[in-house]
Amino acid sequence: MSKILEIKDLNFSWGNNHVLRDINVNISPNELVAVLGVNGAGKSTLLKCINRILKSDSGSINLLEEDVNGLSLIDLSKKVSYVPQSVRTSFSMDVFDVVLLGRRPHISWRISEEDRDKVSSTLRSLGLEDFSFRKFDQLSGGERQRVIIAKAIAQDSSLLLMDEPTSDLDLKNQLEIMKSLRKIISNKDAEKSALIAIHDINIAARFADRILLLHNGKIFASGTPREVLTKDNIAEVFSVDAEIIDNAVFWPGGSDSLRVIVKDEITSK
Amino acid sequence: MDSISEKHIENSKFQIILILLLVSLTFLLAIFAMGSGSSSNLDMLTTLKIILGLENSNDLQSAIIWELRFPRILMAIVGGAALATAGALMQGCLGNPLVSPLTLGVASGAALGAAFAIVLGFSIVSNSEIAIVANAFLFSLIVVGIIIQLGNMRSISAESYILVGIAITFIAGAIVSTMQYFATDAQLSQLAHWSFGSLSRPTLIQTLWISVALIGLMPSAMKWSWDLNALSLGGDDFAISTGVDPSTTRKRILILSAFLTSVVIAFTGLIGFVGLAAPHMSRLIVGNDYRKLIPCSAVFGSLLTLFADTLGRTLFAPIIIPVGIMLSIIGGPFFMYLLLKNRGVNS
Repeated sequence: MSKILEIKDLNFSWGNNHVLRDINVNISPNELVAVLGVNGAGKSTLLKCINRILKSDSGSINLLEEDVNGLSLIDLSKKVSYVPQSVRTSFSMDVFDVVLLGRRPHISWRISEEDRDKVSSTLRSLGLEDFSFRKFDQLSGGERQRVIIAKAIAQDSSLLLMDEPTSDLDLKNQLEIMKSLRKIISNKDAEKSALIAIHDINIAARFADRILLLHNGKIFASGTPREVLTKDNIAEVFSVDAEIIDNAVFWPGGSDSLRVIVKDEITSK
Repeated sequence: MDSISEKHIENSKFQIILILLLVSLTFLLAIFAMGSGSSSNLDMLTTLKIILGLENSNDLQSAIIWELRFPRILMAIVGGAALATAGALMQGCLGNPLVSPLTLGVASGAALGAAFAIVLGFSIVSNSEIAIVANAFLFSLIVVGIIIQLGNMRSISAESYILVGIAITFIAGAIVSTMQYFATDAQLSQLAHWSFGSLSRPTLIQTLWISVALIGLMPSAMKWSWDLNALSLGGDDFAISTGVDPSTTRKRILILSAFLTSVVIAFTGLIGFVGLAAPHMSRLIVGNDYRKLIPCSAVFGSLLTLFADTLGRTLFAPIIIPVGIMLSIIGGPFFMYLLLKNRGVNS
C-alpha cells in the first residue's frame, strides 16, 4: 500500500477568513503524524475536512486512493475514525455501548459476537474494562476522552484522526494513551496511520514520526520532529523562546529524543 | 466469549425481559379495561366470558364491548404507542430532552384545522361527521410539509427545527384565539372539548385503519435506532464520524414523528403529555439505546394512556374525564417523582 492519505492543494475558508491555504499532505501506512500550531491555526479544520464534517472550498483529499467526496459516509467511516475535542452528550449511554458505536459502520442492525469481542478487547487494551457498564456522562473529562478514543480504535479504520486527544488527560494517562496509539500504528500487519492535532510539543516530539507545523493556514514546516522543532520555527509560530535539548536521556526508548523547554514568551521581534 | 461481552448480553436480555413484562402488564390492563365501565348489566366476569366466547351476549352488551370499549382501548394502546414513539424519536434526533410530539407545531396545526371546521364551518370534506378530523389532519400535514421544506435546507440545525416549531405553535395559537374571540358559546364549548383529547372519537373502522398505519411505520423507526444512538449521544460531528448523515437522518425521523403525531391527534384531539413522559420513563428502565428505547417507549406509552383512560372513565363513572386531562394529572406527579428519584432524565 502506497499512501493512506493524500491531500492536494486543500483550501477552506469561513467567509473571508481563509483558514486553510494550499495544504498538501501525504501519510503512509504505519505513520503517526502530529499537527502543531497556535489556536486558530486550522488544525481542527484540517481534520474535519478530511472527515467531511466540513466541506473544503477546493483541492482533493484521497483516502486509500479514493476521493473522500465520492464515498458514502458509511464507507468513509470504515476507512477513517475521528476523535473530536470533546463530546457534548444529550442522552448518556453505558461505556460499552458508546464504544460499540465504533462498530456501527460495520453493523447492519444486529450485533455480532465479533463486534462485541472487538469492543471488549479495545476496552481492556485502554484499561477501561472497569468502566464498561458505567454511564458515559458520569465519567471525568479524561475518562470520557479515553472512551471516545476507544470508540475510534474499535472502528478499525485505516486512518485515525484525533483532535487534541490528550488535552483532558493526566500525565500518566497521556503516556498510556500515546503508547497504545503508537503500538497500534506501529503494527506492520495492520497498516494503520494517525493524524493527531496536539498542543503538547514534547508529546509530539516523542511519539510522532512526522510533524506538520501550521501557521496562518499554511504548512509552515513539515518533517521529522528534529527537522521541524527548531528554535527559529517555534519562535516564529508560537512566539515563544524555547530551548531544544537533543538528548536521548530524556526519552529512553522513545522514537525520538528531542525535548523542548519553553523559556518565555517573545514580546517583540 | 469475553466476560465483558457476556455481561453486555446479560444486560440486554434483562432489559428485553422488562419490556416483555410491560407488554404483559398492558395486556392485563386492557382485559381489565374491557370489563370496566358504568354499564350495570356488564360486569367484569360477564365481559370476560363474552370475549372468550363462553357466554352469548345480547345486542346491547355486544355494542358496548365491541363498538364502544374495544375501539377506545385499541386507540389508547395504538395512540399512546405512536405518540410515545414520536416523542422518543424527536428527543433523540434533536438532542433535547424537553422535546415532545407537540414541539414541532403539528398539534397546533391540527387545532387550527379543527377550529376552522368548528368556528368557521370550513372543511375540506362535505361530510360533517368527519369534517373536524379531516381538517385537523390536513392542517397538521401542512406543518409536516413545512418540516420537509426545512429539512431540505442543508444548514438547518436541531435548534432551528425547535424554534420554527415554537413559532408555528404561536402563530396557530394566535389564529385559534382570534376565532375563539368571535365564536359562539356552543362553538367555544366544542373547541374546548376537542382540545381535551378523547379516545372515544374514532370509530372501530377508523381505529383499525390508524392501527395498520402506525404498525406499518414502526419498522422504519427501529431501522434508524443506530443512527439515533450516534446523534443523541454526541451530536452532529460525532454522528458523522460513525457514518451517519445528521441532516438526512434528522429530516427523515422528524417527518416520521410528525406523521405519527398527526394521524393520532387528528382523531383524538390534543394528547400531549404521554409523548414527553413515556420516553423518559422508558430511559429509566432500558437506558438510552434506541434499539430498546423505541419498543419500550411504545409499550410504556400504551400502558400510560390506557391506565389514564381507564381511570378517567371509571373514577367518577358515569362521568368520563378526558384522557388528555387524566394523563397530565396522574402522569405529571409520577413523572416528577421518577425524575427526582433518579436525579435527572439522562441517568
